[in-house]
Amino acid sequence: MAENIIQVERISKLYRLGTIGTGSFRQDLQHWWNLYILGKKDPFFHLDNTVLPNAQQDQIWALQDINFEVKQGESLGIIGSNGSGKSTLLKIISRIVKPTMGTVKGKGKVSSLLEVGTGFNKELTGRENIFISGYILGMSKAEVAAKFDEIVAFSGIEEFVDTPVKRYSSGMYVRLAFAVAAHLEPDILIVDEVLAVGDADFQKKCLGKMREVSQSDGRTILFVSHSMQAINTLCDRALWLNKGTMKEIGPSTTVVNKYIASMQKLQLQQKWETSSLAPGNDKIRFKQVELIPHLELTEGIIDVRTPLTVKFQFWNLLEEVSINVGLVLFSYSGDCIFDLLSPATVCHKGIVEGECTIPGNLLNDGSYYISLHVARDVSIQLYYFEECLAFDVEDYRGNLNYFEKWWGAVRPQLPFRLENKNIRLQLSI
Amino acid sequence: MSETKTKWDWEITSQTSYWGTSLGEMWSFRHLLGGLVKRNFLLKYQQTILGPFWILFPPLLTLVTYVVVFGKFVGIPTGGLPPVLFYFSGIILWSFFSDSFSGTASTFKDNAHLFSKVYFPRIVLPLSIISTQLYNFLIQFMLLLLLVAYYWLFQGLTISPGITILWFPVAIITTAVLALGMGLFFSVLTAKYRDIGYVISLGVRLLMYVTPVIYPLSAVPEKVQWVVQLNPLSPLFEAFRLSLLGEGTVSVFHLMYSMLFTAAFFSAALLLFNKQGDKLIDVV
Repeated sequence: MAENIIQVERISKLYRLGTIGTGSFRQDLQHWWNLYILGKKDPFFHLDNTVLPNAQQDQIWALQDINFEVKQGESLGIIGSNGSGKSTLLKIISRIVKPTMGTVKGKGKVSSLLEVGTGFNKELTGRENIFISGYILGMSKAEVAAKFDEIVAFSGIEEFVDTPVKRYSSGMYVRLAFAVAAHLEPDILIVDEVLAVGDADFQKKCLGKMREVSQSDGRTILFVSHSMQAINTLCDRALWLNKGTMKEIGPSTTVVNKYIASMQKLQLQQKWETSSLAPGNDKIRFKQVELIPHLELTEGIIDVRTPLTVKFQFWNLLEEVSINVGLVLFSYSGDCIFDLLSPATVCHKGIVEGECTIPGNLLNDGSYYISLHVARDVSIQLYYFEECLAFDVEDYRGNLNYFEKWWGAVRPQLPFRLENKNIRLQLSI
Repeated sequence: MSETKTKWDWEITSQTSYWGTSLGEMWSFRHLLGGLVKRNFLLKYQQTILGPFWILFPPLLTLVTYVVVFGKFVGIPTGGLPPVLFYFSGIILWSFFSDSFSGTASTFKDNAHLFSKVYFPRIVLPLSIISTQLYNFLIQFMLLLLLVAYYWLFQGLTISPGITILWFPVAIITTAVLALGMGLFFSVLTAKYRDIGYVISLGVRLLMYVTPVIYPLSAVPEKVQWVVQLNPLSPLFEAFRLSLLGEGTVSVFHLMYSMLFTAAFFSAALLLFNKQGDKLIDVV
């Protein structure tokens, strides 16, 4: 059994809000006066230490009572919405900020990559920046020198290595910066959302390199990302932070799925008991709209594989009309993905019910909403029920080693043939 | 796997220590120190035509001003020394002190971005600034030696190097340590309250007038001499001139006072810097 390499015990971090000025200066004086002149303990920080005191008005707990362990060679993903304390936690483990309470114990050399290009200076050349950035990240001169050619090759800036980086394109800059960090050899690597910058190609290279580091070199990685796909592929375990507290820790797929399920902006069902309150007009009033995901396959979350059934009921207030319903699916940005028309049906006064299933493996990942329009005689609109359902489709790629954002409005699985015909072409140059 | 058996290499707690970074850890960051010094040097002369010659021009220009204004117009006596040598020695030592001090005093403020992204012993940065300034000083010092040689060869300046030459390294090192100590102390203050930054730039300018830079201590009226002598920099400047040019009013007692003051102040500042350094990142 692998040994623990990091042990986080009861870490909490309190931040003071507001600006620093005369007000905070007075508070500092008071604090100092109480502590050193009157000999009183600060009432806030020296409670019995078993319960965290409530934050005062101008304070906020960025982290509360975080406990976990990381084993040698394990990679731990840290997920959570913005402001949940992920970066603060990484900064504490990286020794950049001090916790308000608690301890972190660890073994070996830690390198943190909290941003791409730490210590880079735009005025200096690529060569000079590689060295200085390497030193800042904790490499020795010999290490940087030994890796220098590799770093330059990885970043692909051979011709520009003696040009100030201010003249680099932003892509070159980011590639060089990551290349330095990628060649660190710490025991523990801490990475914070570096994937958020750079183009798709860079992100892919970056993730690939991290996989290599974690899987073949057996290094311990702490990794914060908003890409659940990346967390799933890279990490063995995941820690879910919610508003500074630990919500869940465990195998990454389980935690990620729970996190996604909690995040999905769902409006899966709307129901009205009486027609007077229901949306509609004097011709049509909706009784119910519902989206039923078929979750058997996908562990409780809607992802690209999930078939979705839309069910709706409405009161038809007209006598004997030929009605058809259109189901329009929009992406969150408002682009229409498709507009499906039901067959026209002659309906009497009363309830009309309809159902349509969007198959799995059709939609790409993203957020969607559905609008329904009801028409008579195919072309005369009776009622348009806008944005009646909303849902998110999460990414799923299985073991596919492809990390970029998947292009396109849809991601259908269509028959696709590719084969090797075994005919050697005579290449004439 | 029992808890007691596990040996941890490091531990992070809410406590900050007065002792700061261990020497072993400092040693592992020696390349960073070298790299930063090189960076400071490169950055200063990036995209200039004259490059490192800019180390020499500002003191030379100041020298001309001083010789004309203080020497010719105001007529401050420079003892038995040629005004050029007197002023230039004062100028380069003073600019070494003031640049080192004001450079290190804004350590946290200037490097907040770096400090919030990566850990390394914070003391490395002020050390790199002092080292850069020391390097500049040594180059300017070479020029001073050339000037001395010129006066010795062609102007009949007599220098008799004696035991006082030993004061030279003492003066330089003490000045450097004092500048670093003051820089560390004020860097902690400027990190939180930017007001201090303005006080420093003003204070440094005023401090020059109670330091024998443009006048020798011997030219100060007896009654107010104690004010100048209270300044721990004064004996250092006098000792510096004495060791090089053979003229200066300094006693072992005064020099001891300077060194003790510097040692005490530096130790206190270093402890404060270590203790506060890790917390300050929350407020810069």
